[in-house]
Order: sequence, then C-alpha cells, then structure tokens
Amino acid sequence: MPVRTVAKALTDWIGRLGRLWVEGQVTQITRRPGQPTAFLVLRDTAVEMSLQVSCRARLIDELDPPLADGARVVVWGTPEYWAQRGSLTFAATDIRPVGIGALLARIEALRATLASEGLFAAERKRALPFLPRQIGLVTGRASAAERDVVDNARRRWPGVQFKLEPVAVQGPYAVTEIVGALSRLEADPNVDVIVVARGGGSMEDLLPFSDEALVRAIAGMFTPVVSAVGHETDVPLIDHVADLRASTPTDAAKHLVPDMAEELDRIGTARRRTRQAVVRTLEVEQHRLDALRSRPVMSDPGGLLVGWGNDLALLQDRAVRAVTGMISHRQHEVEALTARVTALSPQATLERGYAVLQRGNGAVVRDASSVARGERLTGRVAAGTVALIVDQDEQETR
Amino acid sequence: MSKDTPSYEQARDELIDVVRALEAGGATLEESLALWERGEALAKVCQQWLDGARARLDAARPDDEPDTDD
Repeated sequence: MPVRTVAKALTDWIGRLGRLWVEGQVTQITRRPGQPTAFLVLRDTAVEMSLQVSCRARLIDELDPPLADGARVVVWGTPEYWAQRGSLTFAATDIRPVGIGALLARIEALRATLASEGLFAAERKRALPFLPRQIGLVTGRASAAERDVVDNARRRWPGVQFKLEPVAVQGPYAVTEIVGALSRLEADPNVDVIVVARGGGSMEDLLPFSDEALVRAIAGMFTPVVSAVGHETDVPLIDHVADLRASTPTDAAKHLVPDMAEELDRIGTARRRTRQAVVRTLEVEQHRLDALRSRPVMSDPGGLLVGWGNDLALLQDRAVRAVTGMISHRQHEVEALTARVTALSPQATLERGYAVLQRGNGAVVRDASSVARGERLTGRVAAGTVALIVDQDEQETR
Repeated sequence: MSKDTPSYEQARDELIDVVRALEAGGATLEESLALWERGEALAKVCQQWLDGARARLDAARPDDEPDTDD
C-alpha cells in the first residue's frame, strides 16, 4: 500500500476526532517574532505523553496572564495530520488557563470520587513500623524538606537509614517522577516506610500532589506512606490517601522513628518498676516467713516441751498422790490390822507377866485339873517359851 | 540447694501445715518433735530461697543506681 493511501487513511481517522477540549500542562513554548504561528507542547499531567500544538501567534500574545511554562490549560481545537511531513499537530483555536477555582473544583470532585471508591478509608491505613530498617524519602533534591526529615529523624534515632529518591516536586514532570520513585521504593524490600515530603508552595506547586494517578499509585502500595506536603493548612489529596499525614517534614520525622532518649528512659523506668515489684514480693514473702517462724510452736519448741513437761509433772503429781493415797490407805489398814492383831495377840498379857500353858498339841490349858502329873507342857511367857513337866495334881495344891 | 529441694511455695505451704498441726496439738511427743524438726527444715529452705532471690536481684544491680528504698 503506498504512503499516500496510508496518509489519506490517517487523515480521515484523525479528522474524525473533530474539535475538542484537551487539558494539559504547557511546556516548550516557541513563539518567534514575525512568525504567524506559534508552537507549544501540551503534556499530560499524569503520564509521559504529550501533543504538539500549533496556533496563531496572536492567540498566545493575547493571553492574560501570559502563558507560562508549566501552566495548566485547556485547549480548544482539532488534531490535524500533516500528510506532507507525516506529523500530527493539534491545531488550537483557543487556549484558556485552567483557573484556580476550576482546578480546586476539579480536585474536590476527584476527592469525592476517590473517597467513594474507599481509597481514603481508615481501615486501609497501614501502621508505620516502630523502627524501620530503611526509610524511602521522596523529596526535591537537596530541598529544605529533605533536610528537615533527615536531620530530625537522625537526631531522634542516630542509626536511621534513608534511601533518597530526589524528584521534581512541582511542574509537569512531578507526578511521573514521584510515581516512579514510589514504585522503586516499593520494590525495595528493605524500605519499610516511604515519606513524600515537600515544603510549602503555591496552589499550582502543590497540584501534582492531588493528582489522580499519584493518589491511585499510593493507594495500591503495600509499604506505608507518610505524606508531609505543604504547610500545615494545605491538604492535597495525597494527605487523604497516605497512611499517615504529617503536618510538616519535621513532624513526619517524629512519626518515623522513636526518640532514642525517650525509649531509653522508658526502658529504664520499666526496669526500675519490674525491680521494685520483685523487691516488694520478696519483702512480703519475708514477712510471711518471719511470721511463721515466730509462731510459738516454731520459735520456742521448748514451750511445747514445757507443755509436755507440765503435763508430765501433772501426771506424775497425780500418780504420786494416787500412790501416796493408796499407801497411806494401806498404811491405815495395816495399822488397824496390827492393832487388832496386837489387841488379839496375847503378847501384851504375857508382857504383864502372865504365861500361857500349851499342851503338846498346842491346846491351851485353861483347867488345872485337866493336866496330869508328869505331863509335858510348854509355857509361853512374854519372851519365849519354857518346857515344863507337871510334878503334882491340882487336888494336892488345894 | 539440691535439685529435689521443694519450691519456695511448696516449702512455705508445708510449713504452714506443720505450724497448724503443732498448734492443734494432739500429736504424740514423738510426732510433735518430728513435726517441729520438719518445720525448722522447711523454714530454712524458705529462707534460702528468699536469700537466693535477693542475691540474684543484687547481682543484677551493679549497673543500676542504688536501690532507693522508699
């Protein structure tokens, strides 16, 4: 198929787009004095795409405020295919800056849609690591923001590690560079948290940080993202989607790393408190043990024995008394018996000089007549006995 | 303290029982003496545990500030 056919087909297709409004950011304006037409490049705000735009030079001149590099504009015109040179340009017949109001409204609308998609939902927020191995830092090269984050973090935790990703923080290239930096940091396993930091700036300066592509990129990331963009009062959309919004780069540092001194102090307090708890327990147990040991049964076993001793003494005493009682009782008995024996016993009579005559068989002679001459008798006197023989009868002595 | 030494809690609880038994009385002389000796042994074990714990606590102390006994 010859060029002319292809060229003709291209012209037709492209022609079919007709007139339309195209939004983008202006870069590389070429306006040569005396030339009727001027050229500029319109860049997409999110991706690396752009369009060659041609228009009447007067159109550029009449713009108030004058067109500046990086300005956000909407362009009215139609895409044209120049068959001769095979190039495509967008023939613009009207260029209008996108007003701040329009921009803000656009951002608010975007915020609403993204919010409705749940991108800003609280449960999506990921917690920051207590002590990150490495912190990804997306800021302007050698910017104040970078210094704030790094210096403050280092003061809090001297061992902190950063991975710097310098990017444009305003203008047409900002979004693509930031998104690129974010994906590189996301891919790095050592980076546990990523900070996007930028100092204060004008509404336009902060526009990239409300860009849909950037917000969606962050929403899709696993590594927690901290946004520290603009002044305290600025709230670009990045603030809504980030896992943590820090008011300023310095404030961000406070959330990134613990304060060494503070942590050491906390550890010190914890150690003291655990020690005191153990000391208290020991004291309590010591008191209990002392109490147990001081109980009479333990401290003075002698007392126990004394008790036993007392019992013993009591028993002994009772025993003795019992025995003595018995003895004296027996004593009395014996005495009584003895008395009776004595009373019954002739001894006393014998003592008084009487004697008792007893025949051989022990029978006592009471009747003189009952004895016969020559009979052997025993005479019992007080002391001992006398052998006797009767020499005369009773009749003879009468 | 040998491995089969009773734990602090075991020794203390048994000591409490011994004291209670002795105070209740009713034991024979022989039993009472045995109980009392057991009580003394248990008390010594408890004291050893407490002294040991305090020693370990003080051992960990060197690098801290002195103990501020309030």
